[in-house]
Amino acid sequence: MLSLLIWLPIFGALLVALWPGKATTGSIRWVALAIATLTLLWTGFLMARFDFELAGLQMQETLPWIDALGLTYGLGIDGLSLPLLALNSFLIWIVIFGTNAQIARPRLFYSLVLIVSGAIAGAFLAQNLLLFVLFYELELIPLYLMIAVWGGAKRDYAAMKFLLYTAVSGVLVLVGFLGITWLSGSSSFDYNAVSPSDLPLTVQLILLTLILIGFGIKTPLVPLHTWLPDAYVEASPPVAILLGGILAKLGTYGLVRFGLQLFPESWSLVSPGLAIIGVFSVLYGALTAISQRDIKRMVAYSSIGHMGYVLVACAAGTELSLLGAIGQMVSHGLILAVLFYLVGVIETKVGTRDLDVLNGLLNPVRGLPMVSALLILAGMASAGIPGLVGFIAEFLVFQGSFPVFPVAALLCVLASGLTAVYFVILLNRTCFGKLNNATAYYPRVTWLEQAPALILVAIICFLGVQPSWLLRWSEPTAAALISTLPPGSTQTIAQSPSPGQP
Amino acid sequence: MTTAILNQATIPASKHEYADIIHRLEAGGSMLPDTPENLMQIIGIYKAYAVPMDFYWRDLLYIAERVFLDPFPFFKYFLPQEYLDLHNHYAGDDADLRIWRGPATAHPELLAFMEKGETFKMPRLFHHLWHDRINMEFAEACMRAMLWHRHMYAPVNQFDAYLDSDEYRANADRAIRAYFKYNPVMLGLYQLFPEMFLEQCRQMSYYANLGLFWEVMAPVFFEMSDLYDEGGFKGVPDAMNFLVNGIFAIAGRPIYHHAYIRGECYEIIPKSKGFTWLYEAALPYVEAVFYRTAPFRGTKSYNAQAKQVPDDQKDFHYGILYADVFPVGTAGIPPTLLMQDMLHFLPPYLVEYYQQHCRGEDDVLIQLGISFQRSMYNVTSAVIQALRTALLYPLDDPNPRHLMANRQFFEAQMDRFNRPEARLRMIQNQDYR
Repeated sequence: MLSLLIWLPIFGALLVALWPGKATTGSIRWVALAIATLTLLWTGFLMARFDFELAGLQMQETLPWIDALGLTYGLGIDGLSLPLLALNSFLIWIVIFGTNAQIARPRLFYSLVLIVSGAIAGAFLAQNLLLFVLFYELELIPLYLMIAVWGGAKRDYAAMKFLLYTAVSGVLVLVGFLGITWLSGSSSFDYNAVSPSDLPLTVQLILLTLILIGFGIKTPLVPLHTWLPDAYVEASPPVAILLGGILAKLGTYGLVRFGLQLFPESWSLVSPGLAIIGVFSVLYGALTAISQRDIKRMVAYSSIGHMGYVLVACAAGTELSLLGAIGQMVSHGLILAVLFYLVGVIETKVGTRDLDVLNGLLNPVRGLPMVSALLILAGMASAGIPGLVGFIAEFLVFQGSFPVFPVAALLCVLASGLTAVYFVILLNRTCFGKLNNATAYYPRVTWLEQAPALILVAIICFLGVQPSWLLRWSEPTAAALISTLPPGSTQTIAQSPSPGQP
Repeated sequence: MTTAILNQATIPASKHEYADIIHRLEAGGSMLPDTPENLMQIIGIYKAYAVPMDFYWRDLLYIAERVFLDPFPFFKYFLPQEYLDLHNHYAGDDADLRIWRGPATAHPELLAFMEKGETFKMPRLFHHLWHDRINMEFAEACMRAMLWHRHMYAPVNQFDAYLDSDEYRANADRAIRAYFKYNPVMLGLYQLFPEMFLEQCRQMSYYANLGLFWEVMAPVFFEMSDLYDEGGFKGVPDAMNFLVNGIFAIAGRPIYHHAYIRGECYEIIPKSKGFTWLYEAALPYVEAVFYRTAPFRGTKSYNAQAKQVPDDQKDFHYGILYADVFPVGTAGIPPTLLMQDMLHFLPPYLVEYYQQHCRGEDDVLIQLGISFQRSMYNVTSAVIQALRTALLYPLDDPNPRHLMANRQFFEAQMDRFNRPEARLRMIQNQDYR
C-alpha cells in the first residue's frame, strides 16, 4: 500500500521519459499530471484509512533486501510522516499542474519531478536508517539538475552550492546512522532495532550533533543556510516550491524522527542550544528579509525564519509544541508554495522581481489583481494572521514552547511581528502604489495560471478556520514522542492541561 | 502645407519645450499627431461619448427645469418621455441650425440601452438598482467642477457675476416660493436660511448651463462620426477644423435657466440676458473639466499638511488632459464612470481595434480612456485654434509681428502643459494606449 506512494511516481517518471510523441507537446504534462493525480488520490485513500487514534506505526510493510548490510525495505507511517506525505503528494500535483506547458525539455523535467516525489515519499516512509539515507540522497541529483537546467541567471553557482551542501548533509547523516548502528551493536539498520539510548552520553551527544548538523543543513538552520537563498532564488518557481515546500521538511522531519525520537536523553541536553539556534534563525531570517530588494529573496529568507520556529518547538519538546512543529511544517509548506508560485507569476508577467520597480499590481484592469490579492492573503498567512493556517501553527509553537523556553518563545513572537513587517513592505511595494504608465502593459493572467494559487489559498484558509484537520493526524504521535523524553522540566509541562489546544 | 512653409520662413523656430507641437499648431494642425489611427480613435470615441452625452444633456436640463429644488430627488435620473422626445436644437428637421442630419429626439442607441441595458428588458427601476444604467453622476461631477471653479473667466464671463446679482436673487426667490408653495416646512426653512436655497438654485443654473453646452456637443460628435463613416475627414486637422467651425457657428446660442413649476415657466436666467454659449458655457467648461476639475480621491491626498493639492484653484491640474488613465476602474478615480458609459456604445471598428492591443477585451476601459484623452486633446486644440481665430490673427498672415503674437499665444497655451502630469508628450506616441 505505502509502496505505491514511492513506486507510482518513480515508474511514472519512467513512463514520462519513454512516452511516445514529440517532447514539446503537452501530452507529457498530462501523463505526469495523471500520475500525480493518482498519487494524490492514493494519499487521500491512505489518509482515510489512517487511524488517528493510534500513536505507533501503521500500514507497515517489511521486505528483506540486503541482509549483509542490514538493509531492509521497511515502510510505515505515523502521525509525523502522514501530514508530510500528504503535503508531498499535494505539492507535487500543484507543481505539475502549475508548470507552464511550454517549459523547455518537458520530458526530463516531469520525470525529475516524479522521481523527487517518489524519493521524498520514500524518505518519509522509510523505517530503516539506510533506506532513509538512500532516498535522502536520491532526490539530490534530480534537484541539482532542476536548478541547473531550468534556473535563473546564476543557476550554475546555485545548483553547485546546493549539491555540495546537501551532499555534505547526506554524508553527515550517513555517518551518524552508521555510528548509531555499529556502536549500539545492532545487526540491522531497522529503526526499531537500533537503540542508541543505551550508549554512553558523550557518544550519544557526538552522534546527535552529527545528525543535527546533517539535517540542519537541509532545514536549514542559520549558520548552515547559505545555500538556500541562492538555490531558491535561482530555481524556477516549480522547483522553488519543491525545494522550499517539501525538501526543507525532510530536514525538520529528520530532526524529530532521528534526533528527538532516537536520542531522548541527550535531546534534553542539547535542546537549550537548539532553542537558541532556532531563535537566531527566526530573527536572522526576518531581519535579513527586511533588507532584501528582491521579492523572491524575501520569500526565501522568510522560509529560514519559519523553519526556525520548528526547531524552537522541537527543542521545547512538549506535546503541544511538537504538534505545533508538525503543523508549522505543513503550513509552511503550503504558504511557501503559494508565495513562490505567485512570485513566479509576477516575474513572468511583469518581468522583474525588484521591489523598486514593481508597483500598483492591485490595479484591477491593467495590473494582476487576483495574483496580488492572493499574495496579500499568503503574506498574511505567513505573518501569522488569525484565520489562516500560519497562525494556528505559530500559536501552538508559542504556547507549547513558552513554559520551557519563555525568552525564546517571546523572541519568536517578536520575529513573527518582524515577519509582518517585511511582508507589509513587500505587499506595499508590489501591490499598492500606481502602475508606471511607460511599462505597465503586462499580459493577462489566465484562470488556469491562477488556479494552483487559488487552490492553495483555499486550503490555507480552510485549515485556518478548521485546524483540527491539520492537527488531528498527529496528536497521539506527538504525545507518544514526548513520552519517551526523560522526566524533567519538559515532562511536567507536557502533562499540564493545554487550554490552547484546538 | 503652404502656411507651414510661410511661417518657418518668416519667424524663427520656437525654443519652447513643445516647439514641435507649437509648429504644428501654427501650421493649422492639432496637438494630436495626424495619423489615420488617431483619427479613427478620436472619431470612434466622439461617437461613444455622444450617446451618453445625449442622455446627460437631457437629464441635466430635466433636473434644472423640473426636479429643481426637490429635497428628495430620488428619481432625478429617470427621464420622462417628454425629455427623451425633447428636440435637440441642432438636429432634426426643425433645428435652429442643423448640425447633425439625424433625428432631434433621443438617439436610438441610447433608447435601446435604456430599454435593455446590458442585461435584458426590465422596468427602469430595476435597471437602475442593478446599476445597468448611464452613470449620470459623472455629468453632475462635471457640473459641480464648473460650479466650484466659478469666476474663472471673469470679467469675460458674465454668467457667474449674474448668479450673485440682485436680479438673479429676485428671480430665484420667485421660483423658490412658487416651487414650495404647498410645502410650509420648506417655505419656513427658506425664510430661515435663504442662502441655502439660493446656492442650490445656483447649482441648478449650472445644471442648465452644462445641459445646454452638451446639447450642442452631442449633435456635433454624432455628425463627425457620420462624416467619418462617409469618408469625410482626411486627417486629424480636418476633424479639428470641423470643431472650430462648429464652435463659431454655435458661439451665440443663448444660455439660460428656466424652471417649469406646475406648468408655469419661471425665467431664473432669462434668454434676454444675452449669455452665449461660447463665453458662458464652452470656455468655462473646457477650463473647469479639461484642465482643472478636482483632485481624484484615489490619487491625491487632501491632507492640508501634505500640500499635495494647490491652495489656488487656478493651479488645479486634474482634468482629462492631465489625468492618469491607467488606474481607471480602481476606487477613487471618477472618470471610470464615463469610461464605463462609453464602453456600451463603442463603434465596431474600435472594439476590433482594442481587441488587437494590450489585454484586448480585458482592459478596454483603459484603452478607450486613453483614446478619450487623445480625442479631448483634439477638442482642446480646436478651442485653442478658435480662440486664436477670435482674438488674434490668421495662420497665413503675412505680417511677422502678427505671427509672433500667434506664436506667443500658442506658447502661453503650451506652458500649461509644462508639468509632469500633462499627457501631451505621451499622446504624441502611438504606443501609449
